[in-house]
Amino acid sequence: MDKHPELSLLSDFSRGRLSRRRNREIVRHLLAQCESCCREVASRCFPTLRLWKAAGEPPADYGSAFELAWQETARRQSALVSERAEAPELLRELLAQPADRQKHLAVNSLRHRTWGFCELLLDGAREWGFQEPVRAVDLSRLGVEIAERLDAATYGEARVNDLKARAWAGLGNAQRICSEFRQAEEAFVRAERLLKKGTGDPLEKAQLLLLKSSLRGHQHRFREAFRLLDRVAAIGRKGGDGQLCGKASVMRGFLVGLANNPEAAIVHIAAGLRQIDPSADPRLYMVAQHNLILYLTEGGRYEEGMKLLETARPLYHQVGDQMGLLRLRWLEGRIGIALGHFAAAEAVLREVREKLIERELGFEAALLSLDLAHLYTSQGRSAEVLRLAQEMIPMFRFQDLHREAIAALLVFRKAAEMERATQGLIRDVSTYLQESRSARGLRFREPR
Amino acid sequence: MATLDHPELRESLNILLKNARPRLERVLRNFEIPPEDAEDILQDSQLTLLYKWDKIRSPESWLIGTVKKKCIMYWRKRRGSLCEAVDTAILDLLAVPQAPDQERAELTCDLNRVLSRLSTRCRSLLKLRYGLGYGPTEVAEQMGYRTSSIRKVTNRCLAALTRQLLAVGFDRQPEGEPQDG
Repeated sequence: MDKHPELSLLSDFSRGRLSRRRNREIVRHLLAQCESCCREVASRCFPTLRLWKAAGEPPADYGSAFELAWQETARRQSALVSERAEAPELLRELLAQPADRQKHLAVNSLRHRTWGFCELLLDGAREWGFQEPVRAVDLSRLGVEIAERLDAATYGEARVNDLKARAWAGLGNAQRICSEFRQAEEAFVRAERLLKKGTGDPLEKAQLLLLKSSLRGHQHRFREAFRLLDRVAAIGRKGGDGQLCGKASVMRGFLVGLANNPEAAIVHIAAGLRQIDPSADPRLYMVAQHNLILYLTEGGRYEEGMKLLETARPLYHQVGDQMGLLRLRWLEGRIGIALGHFAAAEAVLREVREKLIERELGFEAALLSLDLAHLYTSQGRSAEVLRLAQEMIPMFRFQDLHREAIAALLVFRKAAEMERATQGLIRDVSTYLQESRSARGLRFREPR
Repeated sequence: MATLDHPELRESLNILLKNARPRLERVLRNFEIPPEDAEDILQDSQLTLLYKWDKIRSPESWLIGTVKKKCIMYWRKRRGSLCEAVDTAILDLLAVPQAPDQERAELTCDLNRVLSRLSTRCRSLLKLRYGLGYGPTEVAEQMGYRTSSIRKVTNRCLAALTRQLLAVGFDRQPEGEPQDG
């Protein structure tokens, strides 16, 4: 090509839109060092490196770009509002069906395949995670089914991938709560893969990392968990999002506590609470306060714990979550024992234990039973210890109690029958139960 | 953050976009986004904001940050397409079997001139690619790179080659036009 190519050809070349023959011709022309054509292409692809500006070059007019973008946003907004208005009724309808029918509807019904509905279902599943973890796993699975079927042409492929990633991460988190770590791991792998094909929204990534850090912490892979939390905090700082920084700090505190360092846990959670806006996420604030009280108690700072518990009580009622209220009562009982209010504490713990059994939460019920056993042995009430040990048998059928946990409880029962259930043994069984929850397969070592 | 109803959401979005518009225009202008492509960037960012409205705590800074990021991606993509076009064209030019000797010699000379401005590493890599017709795996073996990283290294060298190819257009002011500032 001896003569200069037309400007439109150079423009198409710079966008990679030309045929191979045309491309060849232009590259050959550029290789011959045609200054004006090189400048033309350079200005189209490397504008920020251009040191010269054409004199009197008018500033670009973005008026119509803003107009057209707003028109499309307004159109999509009306559709989204309708979807969100219909979503609660659709959810009620879905949840009224038996489990297999729910899946059938999620897979086949077009009415359920909307962004608004999927979002509501995922939020609902997250809520259930605090109350009925098994139910949360089922709902999260439905959420995944629906997210996987959302129409990319309607909502945008990258945005749908973000929502799919959120659904898989939610499922992974629900599975983590149920101690299904292998499945949770797989769900997080999927979520991360999808997020790579998403919009690149840092907030979406931060939420995923936050949930993954919780999984890593429960797997006792603390170094990895803290590294993930560093990334969450960095995203929060960069975006000026104090709430996100606060969440990262609270999670760090919780995981540090899980690593048996209640003092450090108290520092991190208290720092997180200072950054969190309770009106924006009352549940998060409540959970953070709960954990702070828990670690104050574990660190022997009972008076402080009790004082904070009284301040936090209205928030538990405001959030109104039954599991939250049960956990509050459990904490009250434990602090009561530490402060020597034995009779009141015993009544509270017995009441909570009944409710946990009603909900088939075997793990929690077993742990609480061990708190009660601790109280009885300290008072020399071995008959009550034995009764408590025998009352544990029905709990063994609950799905969340694995074989090794049952074996540990049987050791406790045997010791109770022989009137040899010491406080040391109770503490060992309790510690084992908590640790085995995150490390399935961990064997309980019977004391000699 | 509670989900807003229709008029409330519309109003909030409208106010936000009105307030953010001067800053958004500045971002688009700083990145020199062509007006015909700005609509896609704005629309995509606004739609993501709309769908995630309830999860975003500072919508305005989120929107500005997202548009900035999309502007960076826009140029990265454009330059990616350009590098690919340049690479394919050079490979095609070198593959023409019956090119007259003089034409071929001129092409080699022009290509060598551009290659001579690159770092030794890129020059060696591209000479293997263009001069000896090596595929990525062979280049990796020859230069001691892992096959998993050769794509990235090659892309960097192609970007450097494209910049050097266009270098005459970067820093010289066109004749007859006054220098800016």
